[in-house]
Amino acid sequence: MKKLLPRFLIYHLSFLILSLLAGRAAAQEFPRRAPEFDRLAQELFAEIQSDQIPYENLYGTLLSLYQSPLNLNAASPEELRALPLLREAQVAALLAHRRATGPLLSVYELQAVPGWDVRTIERVAPFVTVAGLSPNLARGPLWQRIKNEENNAVLLRYERILQQRKGYTAADTFRGRPTLRYLGSPDAVALRYRVSHAHDFSLGFTLEKDAGEPVAWRPAQRQFGPDFLSAHVVLYEQGRLKTLALGDYQLQFGQGLLLSSGLTAGKGAETITTLRRASLGVRPYAALLENTFFRGAAATYQLAPRWEATAFASRKNIDANAQLATDSLAQFDEFSSSLLLIGLHRTATEIANRQRLTETVGGGHLGYRSHDGNLLLGVTAVGTHYGTAFQKRPEPYNRYEFRGRDNLALGAHYSYGWRNLLLFGEGGRSRGGGLGLVNGVLASLGPHVDAAVLLRHYDADFHTFYGNAFGENTRNINESGLYLGLKVRPLPRWEISAYFDQFRFAWLRYRVSAPSQGQDALLRLAFAPTKTGLLYVQYRARLKPLDLPTSTTGRPVPLPGQQLRHSLLLYADVQPTPRLGLRTRLQGSYLRADDGLPWRRGTVLSQDASVALARRVRLSARYAIFDTDDYDTRQYIFEQDVLYAVSLPALYGQGTRAYALLQATLNQHFTLWLRYAETRYRHQATVGSGLEEIKGNARSEVTAQVRYRL
Amino acid sequence: MVKYLLFLLTGLLFIRLPLRAQGNGPAGHGGRAQALGNASATLGGEVWAVANNAAGLGSLTQPAAGAYFENRYLIPSLNLAAVALALPLGVVEPAAGGLPARAGRGVLGLEAQRFGGILYNETRVGAAYGYRLGVVSVGGRLDALQISFQDLGSRRAVVASLGGQADILPRQLTLGVYLYNLTQAKLADYQDERVPTVLRAGLAYRPGAQVLLLAEVEKDVERDAGLKAGIEYGPTPAVALRLGYASLSQQSTAGVGLHAGDWQLDYAAGWHNVLGLSQYFSVGWQWGEREAIKN
Repeated sequence: MKKLLPRFLIYHLSFLILSLLAGRAAAQEFPRRAPEFDRLAQELFAEIQSDQIPYENLYGTLLSLYQSPLNLNAASPEELRALPLLREAQVAALLAHRRATGPLLSVYELQAVPGWDVRTIERVAPFVTVAGLSPNLARGPLWQRIKNEENNAVLLRYERILQQRKGYTAADTFRGRPTLRYLGSPDAVALRYRVSHAHDFSLGFTLEKDAGEPVAWRPAQRQFGPDFLSAHVVLYEQGRLKTLALGDYQLQFGQGLLLSSGLTAGKGAETITTLRRASLGVRPYAALLENTFFRGAAATYQLAPRWEATAFASRKNIDANAQLATDSLAQFDEFSSSLLLIGLHRTATEIANRQRLTETVGGGHLGYRSHDGNLLLGVTAVGTHYGTAFQKRPEPYNRYEFRGRDNLALGAHYSYGWRNLLLFGEGGRSRGGGLGLVNGVLASLGPHVDAAVLLRHYDADFHTFYGNAFGENTRNINESGLYLGLKVRPLPRWEISAYFDQFRFAWLRYRVSAPSQGQDALLRLAFAPTKTGLLYVQYRARLKPLDLPTSTTGRPVPLPGQQLRHSLLLYADVQPTPRLGLRTRLQGSYLRADDGLPWRRGTVLSQDASVALARRVRLSARYAIFDTDDYDTRQYIFEQDVLYAVSLPALYGQGTRAYALLQATLNQHFTLWLRYAETRYRHQATVGSGLEEIKGNARSEVTAQVRYRL
Repeated sequence: MVKYLLFLLTGLLFIRLPLRAQGNGPAGHGGRAQALGNASATLGGEVWAVANNAAGLGSLTQPAAGAYFENRYLIPSLNLAAVALALPLGVVEPAAGGLPARAGRGVLGLEAQRFGGILYNETRVGAAYGYRLGVVSVGGRLDALQISFQDLGSRRAVVASLGGQADILPRQLTLGVYLYNLTQAKLADYQDERVPTVLRAGLAYRPGAQVLLLAEVEKDVERDAGLKAGIEYGPTPAVALRLGYASLSQQSTAGVGLHAGDWQLDYAAGWHNVLGLSQYFSVGWQWGEREAIKN
């Protein structure tokens, strides 16, 4: 850090002089670059082994941070910790710097904050800004602030798969009944508008039609044109009314045990900073996922200087199937046995299940924050009522799952920062007595070492529908575990990250027909030779039992095998010239279903290039070759996509994957994205299965998006 | 008692756990070593180096004595108790030229240990010697081991071990190697039963003054290789917090150490997902002039 100081001073002095010359000594504009989301995602997620994790949600959160960046002069410790990129020591150092020297003058000043290395600043820069502390009212009345807001854009996206899929062919008949077909066109269209300013306001709406969904006006089925409609109005800092949200919103309190949204990267190569969830309260919802938000109203009111209360109410109809009890002794005559979370309504069945179940949620949160922001305490209550009873299928693994119409979950959380330690945790209880507990500590043990410990326990009968606290499961149920994380910077530019997680599932799980336990470990060695370059090697091993196919065991009852997976990732990201970026990635995994069974493998090698063709035109492309033994060894690989879209294809079989993405900024209003992606398979006559089946050996998709800044 | 042994045996049979009978194998003694997942080949400067790696005795400059108690899985038949003594020989040469102080003629260590209950027990008496030579320490140990089964008799064996430690980067990175039972002492002709021969090699890394990171691999001739790792953090000189994990026994450990004057107290608790809680406690006492630098 000391080495950087003179440079910082030069920077700083030059800027002071420049600004004096320009006649304005106010905050300096740092040329904020668009974050490289695929690289960031690469660093945040260790290795994707499932498409279940709502990456789109994380993208959405990061994007909204990019859109309305965090003002470093006004950010609370909690908001700084919400960026999953800062160490506890760095947050403390920035707060201390702010106290000692007053508000920052420019983003460049971050180099003077102890512990903020160039790499951290590079990563954080897209999401932060340095602005004055003037209250919102000083910038004029609300309508004028909205009108003058730069961050004000309409976005239209179109997407289509070029090959004909079975779902779009003419229906034939099977045993006298017409077979299932998609009712809509294969085009996917999304239109969104949003204007927002951090700590002031956020307004927006979204319309979306997925591929295969019909556009129809059917008020009886609550469909008004496109399949998905969403809108929100959120106002901040209206006197003691800290937040008021109308429309679609998300909630995040404590460690997310009862209410969670957005930024939950979970286990990843960021072995320390992603563990703790930030208690961010009410947040606007502007993403396209059709089931991760609340619809109604929420408000946060400041009761006293350090006390804030939040109340919320939500009522919406969610997708669910309908079942009638065939047994006269059954608990419910009519019930739903599964919630359908994919949000696609393309076939007659999917449309029939669309918004079938009324879900009413209400609750509140009371939070206390000490004057320095280091101690946070809070209690949360969430009540849920379903219009018809909910009961999962009578399988042994569903023995302790939620059944009925009502659930009430109560919880309390804490977070306490003391010197270089940050202690945090949350405990909750759901109706019926199930307990959930998560406790952790993040510690900066020295200038070059960070460590984290997290203990969690979720009962098999702990039911929380909107929670997403840390865990191995996608839901916080039936799990206990201990996570240890470590990050060491032995030399400048070098970083070693590691975690070790062991977990236990006290009851059966889907496809695991016995109580089981497993382990997960990761080791990553990263080297940043230059400010923009990054090379790393990452190894991950995971032991997680999974039922063996009955054909291999020869038993009538399924038996879990000790599934072991080794994964290796080599990654190089370099920028040989300012206009050219190159990225190479080799990933492979070895998988064994049980001790003694053969190893199966999957590999993918990809090469990316990104060129700035002109000042406002950028072309990115990738060519990747994959070869996997089967679906279990499939490889997930992040792709660059048009802004706001996530592309994370699962590649299996043998073949190639390529894409090209063109981004052109036409003028200060219009930005255009065009993308073409194609997967070609070897030794395959068809691609995909069911209604998604394509005759041939290729699947290609085009995406076009235009943004108009008002 | 039989019930406990049966429990342990069923554990061994069904869980396929690579549990090792205590005593027979290389010991990991002291609450500090145990809390660090028994990644102890690089540890030194305390009396328990006599059991963990005799080379670690070389950096001891004060006479020290210690007692150690261990209980596994709350089963009384799996208790272990040990006492140890370490005596620096010759004049203590003060630290010079970046090298720590050392005893001119090396350090002699003695240890006695008993493991088990009435049905089965192991008794061991050992003598160790460690010597520091610049950035390298070497050490060796000779054990007399007796194993007794009630009503079935007993066996005796002599076990020889060798160890070495080398500072790759002074006060930052240390390599430690320990070879236990290099003579491959035999216990019985039946199934060619021998005392395990085990090689351990580890690295100790100090990224800062307060933090110690340990990683170690261990290979027994007849078992899979295992990995052990530990982290020690000293928020103040008097307190140490530790965490560890050993992959072969699948046990996680945590512990705390307190340093008060000439006294050192270390406690560790281990948790195994199936077998449960184990506890380790040691107390050490040093006397004479203080010169030692711990590693």
